[in-house]
Formats: sequence, structure tokens, C-alpha cells
Amino acid sequence: MDLAMQVEEQLVNAPPDTGLRRRTTWKYLRRNPKLVVGALMFLALLAFSFLGPLFVNTDEAAPMSAMPVTAPSREYPFGTDDQGRNLLAVAVVGLPLTLQVGLIAGVVAIFIGTILGLTAGYLGGWVDLVIRGVCDILLTVPGLVVLITVAASIKGSISVQTMGLVVAALAWMWPARTIRSQVLSLRERAYIQMAKLSGMRTPEIIFREIMPNLLPFLAASFVGSVSAAILASIGLEALGLGPQSEPTLGMTIYWSITYNAVIRGLWWWIVMPIALIIILFLSLFLMSAGLDEIANPRLRKADA
Amino acid sequence: MSASPTSTLTGTTRRSLTNDPVLTVEDLRVQFPTDRGDFNAVNGVSFTLNKGERFGLVGESGSGKSTTALAIMRMIKPPGRIASGRILLHRDGDTVDMATLSPEQMREMRLSAVSMIPQGSMNSLNPVRRVRDHFEDSILAHNEKATKGEIAERMNELLAMVGLPVTTGKLYPHELSGGMKQRVCIALSITLAPNVIIADEPTSALDVVVQRRVMETLGHVQDLIGASVLFVGHDMGLLAQFVDRVGVMYRGKLVEVDTIQNIFTAPKHPYTQMLISSLPTLAERGAFRKARSASDAATAASIAATAATPGATS
Repeated sequence: MDLAMQVEEQLVNAPPDTGLRRRTTWKYLRRNPKLVVGALMFLALLAFSFLGPLFVNTDEAAPMSAMPVTAPSREYPFGTDDQGRNLLAVAVVGLPLTLQVGLIAGVVAIFIGTILGLTAGYLGGWVDLVIRGVCDILLTVPGLVVLITVAASIKGSISVQTMGLVVAALAWMWPARTIRSQVLSLRERAYIQMAKLSGMRTPEIIFREIMPNLLPFLAASFVGSVSAAILASIGLEALGLGPQSEPTLGMTIYWSITYNAVIRGLWWWIVMPIALIIILFLSLFLMSAGLDEIANPRLRKADA
Repeated sequence: MSASPTSTLTGTTRRSLTNDPVLTVEDLRVQFPTDRGDFNAVNGVSFTLNKGERFGLVGESGSGKSTTALAIMRMIKPPGRIASGRILLHRDGDTVDMATLSPEQMREMRLSAVSMIPQGSMNSLNPVRRVRDHFEDSILAHNEKATKGEIAERMNELLAMVGLPVTTGKLYPHELSGGMKQRVCIALSITLAPNVIIADEPTSALDVVVQRRVMETLGHVQDLIGASVLFVGHDMGLLAQFVDRVGVMYRGKLVEVDTIQNIFTAPKHPYTQMLISSLPTLAERGAFRKARSASDAATAASIAATAATPGATS
């Protein structure tokens, strides 16, 4: 037992300083204000949509439940529309529906993209060639045109869930490509060779060794996919290709356009969905950029 | 620390050298296709590793020593391939030619029959997984039914064998020093008590004090599990203290195999002679500053002559 050994033993036997870990987390969050502000905004939106029903009668999101065409007032803070919907109730009901479309599409896209990206990147060879080829071809397809075609052909029966799946159908290629390129670099690391030398099977190496290294990247991709999916779904809905009976944010824009809200001076009708969309996108963008800084430390500022 | 009670690298007792082969490599040839035809990175290498023996493979960079080690593990990356030769593993009275095993059969052999401590082990542990996860993965890859308790027990046993406290298990690799990481790698490599441990320059990038401890640990665990060690490296001083026999590789060929004493006292191949003569001694301080002497030039010329083999252009 010599000196070096004793020092090492003290090092490894020292109780982990959880206080230190907590302090560094706090310090890190202070240096990553994007993530904090984005997450706080997102939490506020979630609180609005989940606590809202406690304060607002959500039945008033249906047509002919309130006095039509009322400017924002004490009774109707966001005003009412031409059809007699309380726009505050519409916001409370519509925001989670729009989030639902985005989450369904984001989860499906990232799930498919992750599996294809990991497989193509790790296996290489003809598997990679096929997956990459399919992704590249589909990436050249103008997404909105396909989405409009698909959505228009099932317009009558479209629901919030099918809306999410329609958007997801063309949202997985970009995650697949970016994840693949990350795996190309990870698979050359010494610890992957070590895993192979230990006799680990290919699926075990992919999901137990490579995937944990990708988690920050996957989180950033996920937030990015969710916002892209929400954008695509709002685009479709504003064209009237969304669920007709659900008051999502996109459908609210569609109705306001259909009933000439702007020309008739009903500004509150169109301001409500657009303001919510701006806040939502700002929060998603800030979170995505903040997570990106975790995944890619070079984006960090030296000190802030 | 239980791992190094001895004062010499080779251990207290001189292990008796048997003639009981564990690994026989016969005429191994590893080819890489190039624009100018196939290049033989390993060109007809044959050697035998006996039970409990420490065999060193030395040679300059690019001589094919690491490629030989990887070929034994069947880890040559395409388009490289094992073009010919047999890699016979003798265990439990059975002989298996590892060069002809299916990928799945070979996967089962790794770690359980042959294990490897890779070069540059500083990065050989996954940075986002704890030390204990590495043991769990390795054991589960060979025995899916192993319980958490069995794995933890085996890990503690292995960590004790390499002289690390059991608390190391819950640490992340970045919390370990270089020497500790390397000892974790050694512990991982003996998880399933393999017959052969291949160590590919396991002490590169470590300072000499840590180097010594790692070598002691390797020798200690080898004795504990009764494995043979194939040691790949270029540090003649280190090899002199550790191995029993040495194979000298030059341009893909094994040019000389002999006991470590004979290699040092009576090297036969010109490259071996140059290797030995290039070992530093205090008596020759300042020799680097002298222009290459006539005798050195002659040695270099004779090596070039012997090594001028077709297909081995580098």
C-alpha cells in the first residue's frame, strides 16, 4: 500500500457530494437562460390549458354558446367570434389539441427516425444505402403538397390523432438523417470496440452503448420535430384541412379567415390564435436551442 | 492492495513454461485491398501460445502486430479480411479454429475464451455509463439469466482482483484516473475467466509509475485465472520485465521468435539487433546527436534486403 494507492482509495471512498452536483446544475441552468425561459414559457402554456377549464366554462368553445361578435370585455376577455364562441374558452380547449397534434407527430417521427438512423449509421453497407436513399428521395418531395393531398382526401373523417399521423408521415426523414450522422461518429469510439470485444450483440451495442450518448441530441431533435409538426398542422388547418369540429388554433384561424374577421374589424378573433402560436413557438425554439447547447457544448458562451 | 504484493513484475515464482498450447496461429494472412492490389498487413504469421505463458509481440508502428491481435479476435474491419490461416484455440481437450467460426459463435468466444484489453484504453469506457453498467453489459451478453445480485457479486470480486475498491462500481469513467480506468478494463477483460488475454499496448499514455502498477495487476490476474497473455507492444524495457517469449514482427512477418533472454543477448534478425541496440543506456548519452554511424547504415541496408518481399510495400 503506497501513497498513490492511498490517495486513490480516499478519492473513490469519498461520499459523493450531492450538494455539489445540485449547485453545478443550478449554475449550469443560470448559464443556459434559453432553456430556462423556454421551459418556463412552455410550463405557463401547459398551466393555461390544464388549469384553464377550472376557471372557464369550456362548453362555450362550441358555436352559439355566447353573444356573437363581442370585443374583449370583462365578461369575455378574449372576445367572442361570429359564431358565438367564447374565444377564451376556444383558447383553453384549442391549445392542448394543437399540442396533441404536435406531440403525436413528434413522437412518431422521432421514434421512426431514431430506429432508422441508429440502424443505418451503425450497420452501414447496403442497409445504410437503402435507408439513406429512401430518406433522401422523400426529402426532395415538397411536403406541404403531399400533406394537402392526403388531408384533403380524408377531410371528412379527420380527427386530431389522424392529423398528427398525417404530419408524422413526412417528418421522420430529417431526424433519421441527423441521427445517422451522429452514429457514424459514435460507432468509431474506442468504447464501442470494447463492447464488441466483450461479445455484446449488435442490438445491445446500439441501444445500450450508443443510444445513451445520443439522449441530449434526441431531446433537441424531439423539440424541433414537435414544433415543425405543429407548424405543418397549423398550415393545413388554416387551409381548412383540419378537424372541422375541433376548435384547434389552426382551425380558429381558418374560421376567422372564412368569416372575413380582418375586413370586418374583428381583430381579436385572429389575434388570439396567432398570439398563442407565437408564444408556443418562442418557447419551443428556446428550449430546442437550450437543449442543443447541452448536446453540442461548443455553442456555449464562455461566460454569461 | 492485494494485487501487487510482489516486488517484481514477473511475480514471485517463475512460472514453469509448459509445452501445452492454448492458442496456435498458423500461417495467418490479413489482406487489405488497395488500388495496387492486395496488401498483406499480416503475412504468414505462425506462433504458439502455451498455457500460462506470456508472449510478447513487438515491432515498429505498422508492422502488423496490432492487426495480428485484432485478427485473433476476428475484429478486422472490412474491407480488410483474414485471407488464410488457422487460429486454433485449445481448451477443455477441444480444438476450435476461430478463423472459421460463424459471427455468432465468435461473439460467444469473445470474453469467454479470448479477451482483449484494447489500445488506448483511456477511451475504452462509455462516458455516459457507470463502471457497473459495463460489467452488467458484458455478463448479460453471455448469460442473459444472470441476476443483479450475481452480477454485483462478480463485479466486486473482479474489482478486488485488480485492487480497486467496490465503490468504483458506481462511478462514471471521467471520475477515474488513467490507471484506474485501465485496471477497470483489465477487470472487464477477465470477467468470464478467458483462456487467452490479448493486451494491445495496455500502458500507452500512462506514466511509468502507473504503467508499473497496471502491469503488476495484469500479471496478478493472469496468475489468478491461469490464462495466457499475448502482449502487444513496442516498449522493449517493459517487455523484458514481463514476457517469457518474444516474437518480433517486421513488415507483416514474424521474423524472430525466441525467449526474452535470447532476444536480448543474441538477437539474430538484423531488425531485432537494431531494436536491441537502440535501447538507451546511460553510457551512450549524447548518441542521438551523432550522425548515423557507418554500422547503423549497414544494419538498415541489410534489413531492407531481407524484408524486400513482394506485396509488402508500405
